[in-house]
Amino acid sequence: MSLDGAATIDARRGTPAAGARLPPGRAGRLLASRRVRDLGLKVSGVLTVLLALELCSRVGLLSRDWFPPVTDTYAELFRLGMGRPLWVEIGRTLNGWAIGLALATLLAVPFGILLGSSPAAYRMSRVVIEFCRPVPSVALIPLAVLVYGVGLEMKVFLIVFVTFWPILLQVVYGVTDVDPVVRDTARAYGLPAHARFFRITLPSAAPYIATGLRIAAAIALVLAVTAELVVGAPGLGQSIVVAQSNAQLPRMYALIIVTGLVGWVLNMAFQAVERRLLRWHPSQRQEESR
Amino acid sequence: MLEVSNLRKVYGPDPHAAPAVDGLSFAVADQEFVCILGSSGCGKTTMLRCLSGLTPATSGSVVLRGKPVNGPPEDMAFVFQDYSRSLLPWMTVRRNIAFPLRYKGVDRRRAAELTDEALDAVGLAGRGDRYPWQLSGGMQQRVAIARALAYRPGILLMDEPFASVDAQTRSGLEDLLLNVWQRYGITVLFVTHDIDEAVYLADRVLVLRPPANVGHEAVVGLPRPRNQVATKQEPEFGRLRGELYAALDGRPVVA
Ligand SMILES: Nc1ncnc2c1ncn2[C@@H]1O[C@H](COP(=O)(O)OP(=O)(O)OP(=O)(O)O)[C@@H](O)[C@H]1O
Ligand SMILES: [Mg+2]
Repeated sequence: MSLDGAATIDARRGTPAAGARLPPGRAGRLLASRRVRDLGLKVSGVLTVLLALELCSRVGLLSRDWFPPVTDTYAELFRLGMGRPLWVEIGRTLNGWAIGLALATLLAVPFGILLGSSPAAYRMSRVVIEFCRPVPSVALIPLAVLVYGVGLEMKVFLIVFVTFWPILLQVVYGVTDVDPVVRDTARAYGLPAHARFFRITLPSAAPYIATGLRIAAAIALVLAVTAELVVGAPGLGQSIVVAQSNAQLPRMYALIIVTGLVGWVLNMAFQAVERRLLRWHPSQRQEESR
Repeated sequence: MLEVSNLRKVYGPDPHAAPAVDGLSFAVADQEFVCILGSSGCGKTTMLRCLSGLTPATSGSVVLRGKPVNGPPEDMAFVFQDYSRSLLPWMTVRRNIAFPLRYKGVDRRRAAELTDEALDAVGLAGRGDRYPWQLSGGMQQRVAIARALAYRPGILLMDEPFASVDAQTRSGLEDLLLNVWQRYGITVLFVTHDIDEAVYLADRVLVLRPPANVGHEAVVGLPRPRNQVATKQEPEFGRLRGELYAALDGRPVVA
């Protein structure tokens, strides 16, 4: 923590001035070396934790039965990664995730636009939204199984039902939160209604919608894995249960790590897309030297 | 011809609340340059918003070329006091200037020409591909002005458009505006709280007293084209300045 802080302050003080005076090649190298140092710090943090775990388990501080050495887990992870079955399971989980998220988006975005543009419609549906939104997702599993069985459809239903709400609310906020001066500008210059919607309302709602989607994507993954764990729908979650019941602990840990990695990669992907599409938004702006 | 009669605007639902504009009447001839002077909070912005049809008036009427104004008229451009928020952050400077033209029926090539011309006029040629938030406040203000100029409006409403540029740029923009006004025969309503600026630019200066109504009117007889040095040295300039200063102060005007 403190190490990280020191690095940032140092970089802030050092680089801009240097960048102004030094030839571009030198400035670029400085920037690159800062990146390398940053990465080095991060990696060594992770390695320290892993090493500590490994030692605890080898020395017997943690029971070897429940906490196999980290190296075993990673060896298993590597073995799994080389084979096909792991990727099939990841594909199954992501399949439900993608279909559910896409359906929820297709439903929530138009509906949110409607509610956002019509105060009457919003007031009418407020109570329903406030009632449905906080229902704990897991409580719906029995119903989902009853209606849709234990396969893909059940997963998709859960994901759609739960992720619909955060997306919907973000769209409503986004559509209602257009800067009034921007709104007036569009009116003063005589933009017709459809142009006001596509050129003004949608772009200014886009950052809200993007945040809604990113949150929904994370929730959807949790739901997919939960459904697989609890109900036994095929996918990563089910594989974890199978590994556990066969007492293949390194495999179980390896699969848990895979689940974490999948979530991490998905989040990174969403952030990357946001950075590209919403370059103009204050949260994404980067100072450019030009 | 723009005719404002007995305009009254009360904000909020209570009709007995203090009005922001009350009993405002005046007329502006086609191609006239009228400056509106008034102290802060006296209702200048509110008045412009009612004239432009952006805000409905509580009572009274605004008639532009024989038609009552209920919404923004077609060939009107508006430069907002809050210029930085009136630029769309997701569009480049060039697109910010060009996008209203599309809906006015200007084709793409002509829109690009008008944009380049306007950018050049406000001294921002070469900045067209940046985003507004990458520019300084004064530059953003000039982009907002360029957008209004490129639109080639019949009537141009400007709300303290030169408030945040340095003196040098400001004189440049004043001369640019006069030039464009004369060349294209625009009607201009220009709100400011700077007496010198009002006298330098206008055919006629209206002084608003809260709640915005015309407390004083001065016809500016200075010859055109005006010149930043020569015009400001004329005795008439000094006299008008004194007259308006007194009028703004609320003291009776001694001729
Ligand atoms: N949206 C609003 N709701 C309620 N009151 C408002 C609103 N806008 C302005 N007012 C009030 O109306 C009066 C006139 O405001 P206005 O913005 O028109 O003044 P102004 O002359 O443009 O001032 P400035 O020179 O500071 O821009 C003020 O008393 C202000 O408080
Ligand atoms: Mg104002």
